[in-house]
Amino acid sequence: MPDSQAVGQGAQTKRMRPLLGTFVEIAAGAVKTAAGAVEATAADRGTRAEAAIQSAFDAIANIHALASFQQADSELSRLNASPGQWLPVSRHTLRLLRLARAMTAASDHLFNCTLGGAVIARGALPDHGGDYLKIGCADDIELEAGRARLARPVRITLDGIAKGYAVDCAIAALKCAGVSSGWINAGGDLRVFGDMALPVSQRRVDGSTRSLGALQNAALATSCAGGGVDADVPGLILGPETADADSAAGIGKPATFSVISRFAWRADALTKVAALAPASERAERVARLGGLLIEE
Amino acid sequence: MKHEMLLGALLPMTALVAPAYSADYLTVEQAQRQFFPNASQFVDSTLDLDDDQRDQIKERAGTRQRRDNQRVWRAEQEGKNLGWMFVDDVIGKHEFITYALAVSPAGEVLGVEILSYRETHGGEVREASWRDQFNGKTLDDTIRLGKDVSNISGATLSCRNVTDGVRRLLNIWDLYLKHA
Repeated sequence: MPDSQAVGQGAQTKRMRPLLGTFVEIAAGAVKTAAGAVEATAADRGTRAEAAIQSAFDAIANIHALASFQQADSELSRLNASPGQWLPVSRHTLRLLRLARAMTAASDHLFNCTLGGAVIARGALPDHGGDYLKIGCADDIELEAGRARLARPVRITLDGIAKGYAVDCAIAALKCAGVSSGWINAGGDLRVFGDMALPVSQRRVDGSTRSLGALQNAALATSCAGGGVDADVPGLILGPETADADSAAGIGKPATFSVISRFAWRADALTKVAALAPASERAERVARLGGLLIEE
Repeated sequence: MKHEMLLGALLPMTALVAPAYSADYLTVEQAQRQFFPNASQFVDSTLDLDDDQRDQIKERAGTRQRRDNQRVWRAEQEGKNLGWMFVDDVIGKHEFITYALAVSPAGEVLGVEILSYRETHGGEVREASWRDQFNGKTLDDTIRLGKDVSNISGATLSCRNVTDGVRRLLNIWDLYLKHA
């Protein structure tokens, strides 16, 4: 059995880069060789871990290039620009759209990937041109093998799910490269795997932090709702009622919601469900959709 | 019971440790090797910038050049210029960051790596949150707490400050290193 203490402290390679509009940290513990043995020399181990981390950063950059709302040439932006037309989309974009549509329907549209128009109207996302509806519904997204179509001119935004999905893809890349344990923290969307328990803290609205304990083989995401648009903390959560209103009132008093789940995409999406559900239903709704809510 | 008593005695000491998240990823030398593995030497080419030059940088880049010297190295392989590596720092809402930017001889970005990241508290540390840190910890764990710093999950912080920094450094390259 690997020495978890060694993995947690000594034999670990860690890098951070600006990606996905935030800071992404990737850490890799021991790397197995093809034969399954752990590399002997520290230099070999370091090189293999660095190569694994590079492949994980590449996986994240790939998702960003496909699913970015901001970039006019992403697959998502091309889909948004061509309502009514079937467009070929890559495996990852198709899967992201499928997950986002399913979560939109399953959450009774509390999580809603079709409200890009409302976010454009708030000035928090760029307008790449053309008329748009402020908000739509899950049925506006039509998917077939290898292609997608928007039934109405909604603007799909995957911001509530793609960062978590990118973390999941990057974790897969680490595992594929033979990394036996590690973690990724993409600006608060965090996932840890293998034989390590990662101590985690929640940063709250006032900037203070509190310990949540140690995370093992799970994902954790945190969102802050309310408080309007802030350039340093760009997340903006709009609900079914607020998406239509032109006021910048947001959804009331700023609050922080963290959700633990098996996959980062789900934890990411469920923080939005938590932020928008009535307080009395919050924990139960999140639990029904596969998450564990940690309230501030 | 014995542990609880010891924990109580330890609390005032451990509370002196800043609860901020902080991490060092690469030294300057490690970043140089990573970006330019074939370089035989890195020539210190730090730029001293006077007020007029800093004004010009701000005008072109849109962000202020805080330092009057800008750290940068030229990567060389037997006299041939392989590119440049800048080291710079930026301050965000919660974070203080030192990063490295590698640029090719033609001015293309080869990569950005964070060298060190410090996240500080905006507000006061609440006593309750401090006590939470000790829940479930044994005495041995407690003594290690200083090193055993948590990862932070919070509302996503923008990396705009680094993006602005990179644009500023690319303007500096264009002004002073393009023809060097």
